[in-house]
Amino acid sequence: MKKMKAKLETIIGIVIACAVLITMLLYITKAGELQIEEYILIIIPVLLVASAIYILWDRIKNIKAGLPAKDERLIKVNYKAGYYGFIAAIWSAVFVPLTTEILFGYELIGGHVTAAVVIISGLVFMISYLCLSGRGNIE
Amino acid sequence: MRTRIKELRARYDLTQEELAKKVGVRRETILFLEKGKYNPSLKLAHDIAKNLHTTIEDLFIFEDE
Repeated sequence: MKKMKAKLETIIGIVIACAVLITMLLYITKAGELQIEEYILIIIPVLLVASAIYILWDRIKNIKAGLPAKDERLIKVNYKAGYYGFIAAIWSAVFVPLTTEILFGYELIGGHVTAAVVIISGLVFMISYLCLSGRGNIE
Repeated sequence: MRTRIKELRARYDLTQEELAKKVGVRRETILFLEKGKYNPSLKLAHDIAKNLHTTIEDLFIFEDE
């Protein structure tokens, strides 16, 4: 049952990663001429998807070897990285609109703030996950 | 904290992967445990001790003891 769940989670992860990549590819082809800021906004999600693919590949490798996709240490890593991502989401929801208004003098629309929050919290989650999973004690 | 996992694993001729399979964790977790870099849950400590035919007290040695 646990193995089935892990396999299902991995398949869903692969489908989501592919869907994100296809969406971005469509965006790039339809957008025409892109500005440097837009390239940065594309590179960050690509990095996130690349990290997600690495995590999925690691899971598949373990499942194939007959080992669990995640164990108690990795579950703790997941929770801690999720906690850091959540804190980053709260901070970025406050600081992104404030800093753009103070430093650049323009007010961000809701959609841009949401995008920034998702990208920043995703980035913090991925970096924390990759750093913590390479360490022993998570506490 | 030190552990005797590596020593006992060698005694029973088990690889890290084999022990990991027996106790249901990933190989890296066994590696971190052997290095004393990870504090396992009571259940995992019990499972490892059982598979290495020893007790938890015998397997995990605390430096201040």
